[in-house]
Amino acid sequence: MENILEIKNLCKTYDNFALKNVTLSLPKGMIMGFIGENGAGKTTTIKAILNIIQSYRGEIKIFGLDNRKYDKKIKEDIGVVLDDMFFPEILTPNDIDNTMKGIYKNWDSKMFDDYLKEFSLLPNKQIKTFSKGMRKKLEIATALSHHPKLLILDEPTSGLDPVARAEIIQIFQSFIEKDDCSILLSSHITTDLEHIADYITFINRGEIVLSKTKDELLDKYGIVKCTEAEFKKINKKDYIKYRKTKYEYEVLVSNKKDFKAKYDIAIIDKITLDELMVLMIKGEE
Amino acid sequence: MIGFIKKDLFMIKSNFKLLGILIIAYTLMGFVGEIDISFILPFMSVMIMISTFSYDNYNNWDAYSISFPDGRKNSVKSKYVATVLMIVIVSIITTLLSFIISYASTKTINCEQILISMFGTIFGTLFVLSFMYPIIYKLGVEKARIGIFLIVFGLVFIGGFLTNYFNLSLITKAILFLEDYLIIILIIIAIIMVYISYKISERIFNKKEF
Repeated sequence: MENILEIKNLCKTYDNFALKNVTLSLPKGMIMGFIGENGAGKTTTIKAILNIIQSYRGEIKIFGLDNRKYDKKIKEDIGVVLDDMFFPEILTPNDIDNTMKGIYKNWDSKMFDDYLKEFSLLPNKQIKTFSKGMRKKLEIATALSHHPKLLILDEPTSGLDPVARAEIIQIFQSFIEKDDCSILLSSHITTDLEHIADYITFINRGEIVLSKTKDELLDKYGIVKCTEAEFKKINKKDYIKYRKTKYEYEVLVSNKKDFKAKYDIAIIDKITLDELMVLMIKGEE
Repeated sequence: MIGFIKKDLFMIKSNFKLLGILIIAYTLMGFVGEIDISFILPFMSVMIMISTFSYDNYNNWDAYSISFPDGRKNSVKSKYVATVLMIVIVSIITTLLSFIISYASTKTINCEQILISMFGTIFGTLFVLSFMYPIIYKLGVEKARIGIFLIVFGLVFIGGFLTNYFNLSLITKAILFLEDYLIIILIIIAIIMVYISYKISERIFNKKEF
């Protein structure tokens, strides 16, 4: 399958944090959920993809092209929503429309106008008069209105109520259905990702600890809930992490079926992305 | 780059009213024979453009703009082009008004004086731009204000020191000698000054990480 985004051995060092050999691939027509706790390296990775940070090592290819060499060409086909970065708030959606006409070759004013109507955003109101949710919708409308082939979204649904989130997710879904477009979506709201992501990539302390299809992850992975005595019988090789709670042990396993065949433990729950994150970060080995 | 320039102009559109009021005030004062304030308007336009840096900074526009095609390059270039455009347009408006006021009040037009005044003002405002923009890109608009104050204070101090302790008659003689070519010299110096300033700002911005 053709990859629309490929990152190989991305490294970037700060005084108190480092991205270590981040490697991931996003196939064409797919949505990748990019998860991890605050400060894990999601935004730094996104900034490197977009060359907002420059002094990094490693290789980033978008549409098969080197992201530094073909920066201009690549960015014509990328739509972005970045956390806390946007147009100055004294501008109006109309100003944004007029500005973007002079920035993107494919800017589609009609499409932008349709999104404004769909999101009930007044074109002549200054951004500063919008609520947080309305601003997010405007950012999303701006990212989508030049027919991008790849969307890079950093926390696009934060600050939105469940109805608005469902609305936005629907829009993302229709976006990938046409023309084999792809989305890299970093989010804390993992329930959204459970609905739309095809792949899940999990970054922790600057390292990719897991990158799999969502179905494989949610179908095969599981949480074994057992007593201390039962836990002590489990071989270390058969689990990834465990956590001791007040009443039981929660053990993360990568293959529920194999585990069930090997051990006589009744409770093996399906895993959610939230539980996976907590166990991977807080669990012991 | 057009988009970036438009964005800056949209940002300052609310200041156009203020500029309009100042232009009316300037015209009225010209008619009643009060002091000449024509130089204030181009300086005001630079100050208004500098205010766009604060808005950009508040919403992290610089980082966001890099996600656009040629964003890093156009972000800096557009600021210079928009500011120079503002200076030139406002200077032309004030010069035209000066011609009208001069003719209406004395029935004569002192072309030479008005044009020297216009070029002098444009040169002065371009000097402010060339001096301030690299500092703003390096330190950010808030810190730059303090830096600029210190540098201006230093320049005034050095200037005062030089005039008091050194004989500057050679410089005065040189200026008098070049008087005929003054406008051309000012234009050449202004172009070189703005170009060097732009290159410094571009270099600073290219190295910036957000």
